[in-house]
Amino acid sequence: MSTVQRHKNRRVVEREATYKQYKADVASRGKPFYPWAMFHDTVMSLIVVSVMIALACIWYFTSGESAEDVGWLGPRYAEPADAGTITFVPRPDWYFYFLFYLLRIFKWPNTVILGTVGIPTILMILLFALPFIDVRRERRIIRRPVAAVAILLTAISMGILTYKGATAEEATAANEKTINALMEANNLPDDVKPGVQLFFQSGCTSCHTYAGEGSSNAGAPDLTDIGSQEGKDAAYFKRYVANPRAFGNNVMPVFEGLGDENLQQLANFLEASKGEAGPGGG
Amino acid sequence: MAVPVRTKTRRRQQLEQALLYPLDWTEERSGLVGAVKYFLFRKVPGDISWGHTLGSASLTAFLVQAITGAILAMYYKPHPDTAYESIQRITNDLTLGWLVRGMHRWGASVFIILMFFHMARVFLFGAYKYPRELNWIIGALILILGMFEGFTGYLLPWDQTAYWATVVGVNLQGTGPFVGPFLINILNGSAHIGVDTLSRFYAIHMLLLPGAIFALIGLHLWLVIRLGVTSPPWSPDGAGSGDPDGDGRRPARRGLSRRSRGGTE
Repeated sequence: MSTVQRHKNRRVVEREATYKQYKADVASRGKPFYPWAMFHDTVMSLIVVSVMIALACIWYFTSGESAEDVGWLGPRYAEPADAGTITFVPRPDWYFYFLFYLLRIFKWPNTVILGTVGIPTILMILLFALPFIDVRRERRIIRRPVAAVAILLTAISMGILTYKGATAEEATAANEKTINALMEANNLPDDVKPGVQLFFQSGCTSCHTYAGEGSSNAGAPDLTDIGSQEGKDAAYFKRYVANPRAFGNNVMPVFEGLGDENLQQLANFLEASKGEAGPGGG
Repeated sequence: MAVPVRTKTRRRQQLEQALLYPLDWTEERSGLVGAVKYFLFRKVPGDISWGHTLGSASLTAFLVQAITGAILAMYYKPHPDTAYESIQRITNDLTLGWLVRGMHRWGASVFIILMFFHMARVFLFGAYKYPRELNWIIGALILILGMFEGFTGYLLPWDQTAYWATVVGVNLQGTGPFVGPFLINILNGSAHIGVDTLSRFYAIHMLLLPGAIFALIGLHLWLVIRLGVTSPPWSPDGAGSGDPDGDGRRPARRGLSRRSRGGTE
């Protein structure tokens, strides 16, 4: 051992020796990249391109020119983007489903930051730091129990979150009957009915729940008794829905586009929402 | 009989020289021919498996994305008034436009899946360990940039799905501590998602991110060639699997050591 190596710790000496051995083994017993490895790479690449073409064909030939003609793999395109109608289902591409569902688990405002920033950031740091956390030289997975458990748990949780995200129920716009039943159950006065309709037609239920209707997304709170919270009246709700950013809420979209009258209707409805007991039952 | 053979050989020599001249010319001035030769004929461990093809498969998927993306860019019009119509035209009217767009659209998923599989393979083989730590980091960066490609590309058709997924996606990034609100302004280009957002996403999707990914793939490949690919860890004859103690001896229980057992090696 040289003088320099004597000062290195055992782990460093070992891994350097292993790599030196690797270089020597490859030099003496390795095979040339071309044609040996390149043949396998070429076959695999041909398969990849074929799969892409096959997916494109299935997608195109089973769907039609209309946005409603869905086909096996989804429509060619949805309806044109419209910031006004807002009967939307916010849903990302499938490889973001795990993140999308993670956000359903955390609720606004206290823990949503865990879902949007906390957990993804921790996972990202772990991903980048992996080679510095796992510094042992052992490469066989059976002899790396921590690594084996970690990848198994990661794969399972990503799989479950993706599956849950894919099968998560969409909010359905409530019909007249549901709206009437809901108003009665919550003792809502008749004059807020336009606000209730607007609430269900404007896509609010894509993220918010109300008396069991709608689906909880992106940490949005249940609004059944939002009107019973102190200091929150129609004027407050109107300003909030128009521009949630002014209240430090960067998750909820800006709904200024609904217009003054619609916003007022929505605000009146939210103010009257005092939970199952309603304004009459207090 | 020796004479005609000699003439033929000389003629062939001349012919070969003439054919190889451009190569020699390039080699003399750049060393590129030597580099390609080194790339093609470098030794790799003899026991590499199909799992080792996932990296080059990801590269192929990315190249398909680059090519189909360039073609789409010739017909796509990144403005809220025209984007949707241009997508319809590409899909329904242009010759094989559906194939180019379909391959780009589904190729994105294939690319992401292959990167995840490739990463899983590297993890299972412990191939991120010394001296390949830096290449793991570069790979993780490519994966994250690739997912951002998916996010920015999703908006471009400018349909309801695209628009509202982006509204929520951008707003979610806005919850980040300190940088969140700035991130919203940077991505949106204005207070709302509109004209500026679309051209911004388009520029990020087809200039910024692909450029960065190309550069990182170059680095990634350079390190793969420099450091070599690992043998499967369970391979009895794997390169570098002998001599785990660093004392110049190979353990008796492994395949590699069989030759040295008798001390006759």
